[in-house]
Amino acid sequence: MNLSLNFQLDFSPFNLTIEQALPLQGITGVFGHSGSGKSTLLRAIAGLEKTLAGTITLDDSCLINNSENGCKTFINPEQRHIGLVFQDSRLFPHLNVLENLKFAAKRCQNSRLDFKEIITLTELDSLLHKHIDELSGGQKQRVALARAILAEPKLLLLDEPLSALDRQAKTSLLRLMLKIQGELQLPMLYVSHSLDELQQVCDKLLVLSQGKVLGYGGIHQMIHQLNNIEERTQADDFIHQQTSLSLPIKTLNNDHGLTVLSLNSPLNVHDEIYLPALDNHTAQINEQTLRCFILARDISISLTEPFNSSIVNHLYTKISAINTKGNKVLVTTRFAQAGKEQEFFVNISAFSQQKLALSIGQNVYLQFKASAVRTYLY
Amino acid sequence: MINADLLALITTLKMAALTTVILLIIGTPLAWFLAKMQSRFKVVIEAIVALPLVLPPTVLGFYLLIAFSPQYLPGQLWQQATGQQLAFSFSAIVIGSVLYSMPFVVQPLQKSFEQLGEPLLEASAMLGAGAMDRFFNIVLPITKASFITAASLGFAHTVGEFGVILMIGGNIPGETRVLSIALFDHVEAFDYAKAHVLALSLLAGSMILLAAIYLLNRPKTTAAKRVSNES
Repeated sequence: MNLSLNFQLDFSPFNLTIEQALPLQGITGVFGHSGSGKSTLLRAIAGLEKTLAGTITLDDSCLINNSENGCKTFINPEQRHIGLVFQDSRLFPHLNVLENLKFAAKRCQNSRLDFKEIITLTELDSLLHKHIDELSGGQKQRVALARAILAEPKLLLLDEPLSALDRQAKTSLLRLMLKIQGELQLPMLYVSHSLDELQQVCDKLLVLSQGKVLGYGGIHQMIHQLNNIEERTQADDFIHQQTSLSLPIKTLNNDHGLTVLSLNSPLNVHDEIYLPALDNHTAQINEQTLRCFILARDISISLTEPFNSSIVNHLYTKISAINTKGNKVLVTTRFAQAGKEQEFFVNISAFSQQKLALSIGQNVYLQFKASAVRTYLY
Repeated sequence: MINADLLALITTLKMAALTTVILLIIGTPLAWFLAKMQSRFKVVIEAIVALPLVLPPTVLGFYLLIAFSPQYLPGQLWQQATGQQLAFSFSAIVIGSVLYSMPFVVQPLQKSFEQLGEPLLEASAMLGAGAMDRFFNIVLPITKASFITAASLGFAHTVGEFGVILMIGGNIPGETRVLSIALFDHVEAFDYAKAHVLALSLLAGSMILLAAIYLLNRPKTTAAKRVSNES
């Protein structure tokens, strides 16, 4: 599915100007700090912003064409077959959970989905006859998600659906999103200001800043690009410089309470990354790979292999870039083995940089504790 | 004479019921339009709708009397269309009541439409509901109480009307002689016993209707209970 965006929209304090083709597959993240225009972008795609100038095309159908030359088209939101889950769930207060879900199912023309299956999938069986006021925030969003799916959209938009929830509700809804994505193959466009959430579930990432596209690409690649963005103004609060990884799981629990991931071939011992063992029960890991990230400030550099250390993770890498900004230095290193490459990002102080006299091309050991390897979901 | 009062009661109820139905039909789109309106002229339209609240009914009645007379265009058009004179007819007092009770229907509806806002309408549109679908399945059920309030206030206010009807309706039994006029007649004739009967029944009727509206608009007990449980 291809979404082609080419439009301008008045949106204080900036103009939202988007010129971007998005091949939608799996979950595509839209990242930016508040006021960057990401919610407005979703509303434009949904058809809730009518004053934009330009075109939005989904596959072959033109959703809006409001350019100066050429015919004007505007497809009403109800005819776009696009779903939208709002931050504030927006369940209908005069209907109970079941009736809210039926509202969507009734208006769906070619119902291919089984109503009961979706209820089971979203774990709503026990809530069906509850009134909306009786639901918790997380339950409300689960109903909103199920309701959106039951309308059987071609594309599902998610506008910060987790931002009002507590941590536990967040992770369970994220897992649900992954499960739905896996079972229904429904393309999703997921807006969030939390890179941690996006890192866990998105395949591609679109980054917006002040109403403009800052970049679009694979999730890890884009997160690594964000490490190097110069104008780090308000966004500083949200972006922690980090290494973002999807790694094959070698052992889920190695009898010492550690999960072992492999950077490369499963045979090589020197490319292992250890992290505290994932809880089998909560994780329900049936996938072979794990999404994780390591904050740049959690990795340190050593010139010799640190044998006499409690720190379990050490990797032999080559420095590819050194970026100094005030007293902080961002060192980019490359781990390469058997044709596979992985970048790692390390924050050190200018003081350490001076002491070690690091230079580009130099080989160094990275070390980080098992607990520094983080994953938002498990 | 009790038959004349009964006739006045029937005329009154007929007038009020018809007025209420007409007001709901034209007042709902007007209230919706005002609730969604962004233009500067919104205040002008709002002021016109609210005018009967402050205007002496005789002023409105006076202008309507002139407009309804066969010498002026509205009266002429009516006479051409129906073959009957508009002034001093049942139709005249219904038109007068519609204008006079307009704010009592439009204002509660407008307020509830404004309170409802866009969020739920947007959500239902995203689920495939078109404009009419949204109105009948989202707006109407959620703002039901304000429709009932609007209808009751419009009805009650029309029943209590006096000045406008006196000006444009005259006092024709079975046509334009309503309860408030009949009461005035009894008082003028010093027939206080009959006046008491009419006055008391109007008082009681209005009281019951208003109490019913307030009962309906009371916060739901279940919601109140839930709030007190949480705190």
